[in-house]
Amino acid sequence: MSSSLLVDKNSPYCPGCGHQSITLGLAKALESLNYDPLDVIVVSDIGCCGLIDPMLACHTIHGLHGRACALASGISIAVDNPKKKIIAIQGDGGATIGIAHLLEAARRNFNLTLIVNNNQIYGMTGGQFSGLSNETFQADHGLADAFTRPFDIVEIAHKAGATYSGRVIAKGDVAEKLKVAISAKGFSLIEILEVCPSYGVQKYSDIENLGYLEKSFVNANNVFTLPKNSQKPLISREAKVDSETFNHSVTKNIKLILAGSAGEGIQSAAELLAKAAMYSGLHVTKKGDYPITVGTGFSVSELIFSPEEIFYTGINEPDVLLVISQNGYDYVKNRIGSNTSTLIDNAVHYEQANISFSYDFKAILGKKNAAISNIAFWLLMNEPFPFTAFEKTVKESKHGEKLGAVLEKVKAIFDEIKLHA
Amino acid sequence: MSSNYSLVDGSKLIVEALVQSGVEAFVSYPITPANWINQYASQRFPTMTFAPDEISVAQWIAGLSSTGKLAATATSFPGFALMVESLNMSFMMELPMVIVLAQRLGPSTGSATVGAQGDLLLLNSFISGGYNIPVFSISNLQDCWTVTEKAVHTAVTLRTPVVLLTSKEMIMTSRSIDLTSLPELKKAEYDFYKGSEPYIPYDSDEKLVPPFLPLTSNEHQVRINSSTHDDSGTIKKATKAALGNTIRLHNKIQRRVSEYLMYEYDSSVDNQLLIVSYDITAEATREAVRQLRESGVNVSGLYIKTIIPFAKELMEIINKYENVIFAEENLTGILVKMIYGNNTPKNVFKVNKIGSMISPTEIIKEAERCLQAC
Repeated sequence: MSSSLLVDKNSPYCPGCGHQSITLGLAKALESLNYDPLDVIVVSDIGCCGLIDPMLACHTIHGLHGRACALASGISIAVDNPKKKIIAIQGDGGATIGIAHLLEAARRNFNLTLIVNNNQIYGMTGGQFSGLSNETFQADHGLADAFTRPFDIVEIAHKAGATYSGRVIAKGDVAEKLKVAISAKGFSLIEILEVCPSYGVQKYSDIENLGYLEKSFVNANNVFTLPKNSQKPLISREAKVDSETFNHSVTKNIKLILAGSAGEGIQSAAELLAKAAMYSGLHVTKKGDYPITVGTGFSVSELIFSPEEIFYTGINEPDVLLVISQNGYDYVKNRIGSNTSTLIDNAVHYEQANISFSYDFKAILGKKNAAISNIAFWLLMNEPFPFTAFEKTVKESKHGEKLGAVLEKVKAIFDEIKLHA
Repeated sequence: MSSNYSLVDGSKLIVEALVQSGVEAFVSYPITPANWINQYASQRFPTMTFAPDEISVAQWIAGLSSTGKLAATATSFPGFALMVESLNMSFMMELPMVIVLAQRLGPSTGSATVGAQGDLLLLNSFISGGYNIPVFSISNLQDCWTVTEKAVHTAVTLRTPVVLLTSKEMIMTSRSIDLTSLPELKKAEYDFYKGSEPYIPYDSDEKLVPPFLPLTSNEHQVRINSSTHDDSGTIKKATKAALGNTIRLHNKIQRRVSEYLMYEYDSSVDNQLLIVSYDITAEATREAVRQLRESGVNVSGLYIKTIIPFAKELMEIINKYENVIFAEENLTGILVKMIYGNNTPKNVFKVNKIGSMISPTEIIKEAERCLQAC
């Protein structure tokens, strides 16, 4: 027998309250299972059941109304020690407002026991019905049409995956029944039925008159364990050893918008361009803009290249606009200014006249390659930084080989156009 | 520019800084624009899981924190609203944790993919009774690293939830940054109770913060309580000892603010004009200050990083100036309201906007108008 779980046997409860026998039963159950008080964590809810803390010699944490099961779930995620026992205690009111938490605890099979002291009513606030109040009990209390079928949380917890769920009538010693729930590995729920002596109906001093039957269920589900991840640092603060650098000819910052549609590789092409500018010694900012439904509609990326540190990352009127498809053009067309130089796909219908270059990027080079082709043309035409810097980032990318071949094709087309011009 | 530059977004730096500063666990519920933070967190944290709603998130991180596993989450206003009661709980229980709040355009669900700076007054008032929890604000990419560390350390030192305030554009924009220039971060250290006498969970000395023991302690009984309690951690009505404990919660945050105060003050040669900003608009303000100075205007910039409680050191700077402009991306100027209430002084001017970032041009225009009028 371990040391006593009770430090204070004086009851805070009204005479005849079932909460007292549950408290004594819980202490007895834990003692007979040989739990050291410091290996037990009791998480108590708001409501009369939450007055239990000062009576116990174990660790106690007293939280919000309806959230004891959720708080206990967090503790359970943290505690990976089979010696420790986590017990949450809620009333029927707390189990009603927090029903989603017990569903999740059962679904994930967190290693904890939830005791629901169902005394049929909210005792602290004047005897209102909860979601677990018995129909007969409600009918005897209120208007004939006011009663509603209660949740059967024992069935619900079972269906949601609890290792053990059981219903017990608080008559006599409940310790043996609590021991079954406490001994289960994973999530166990035990609903203990009683009637509040202050707001109850006298004739239900014998709870069995409400027609409850004791029952229990088991599931053979795995107990929750945390998935393991790589935990690899996301960045390295080490100096780079092999990064090849290039020179740029940019004197004033360049604001560039790449505008296309979802599925055209806009964001990844922008990333490659940004890195090329960075390898050329420029400060760079890059941000994506797309609808919440990422698989459809416009996809736009905004980039700024500057020889100086960039503070403000917004672009009102771009210096350069690379248009891949209609969605992108329609989304950014109102921002085109008199100084915006535009490279556009011939398939796009446009109203703006300041087109510096147009080509059948998509038709000739393919939908997936149009964005990097358009960028490549802009770089070859303007040379703000070396085309070879872009070639480097493209070749180092996921589909480097394939995209590298596209750049070769673009260079050939560019040389041919230059020759004819 | 050295070759050590990398293209990095703020979300990545925040997550890495949280881990390197000692946060062990991360729990979240998906919400835009905090998704990248959640995504990085799921790759990086030793303990990481998604919860079914934000009330669960706030309860789970409280549970983790009560066992000594320092925990964090990231959310936006709709999620934060659901966490409010639970964060009151953790404030009262004195559980350290970090809530990254990525602001987006409200009210209500507003526009998930549009940035904003709309949550400051909420953060100043969401603890019932007018108490504060420390709120840190990120003003540039470097702050994602250093301010995050300060937020984590403050949470542990003061045993309190803290908010790390940011917004969509700050955490979803990639920038080139020399990662070798970032300082090494230190893990936050708990002040554990080491006595042999029974542990009195809320007993503190002049530091106003009780030493910590986790609920897994094998030496002493630990009691943690969200309701009004005395230093034993048991529930009490409004007794003198219990109210004294509650008042201590206020005092520990307010009296120790200089220990966690962070700001950047870029002062000019005279005291004619100061532009005050925080979060994403700090960057537009830096650019406006640069351009104004290039055109010969003497102007100072104040970029606030510890924004709640609003420290007297900040007021001393602000009060030195003949004219002060506050630039922030919301409709009514809520930092101004937080500082001055409904009596904005005549020398205080505002640049406000919703729906898109305030531009340097808009700040410059107000600065020129203000200087001409004076």
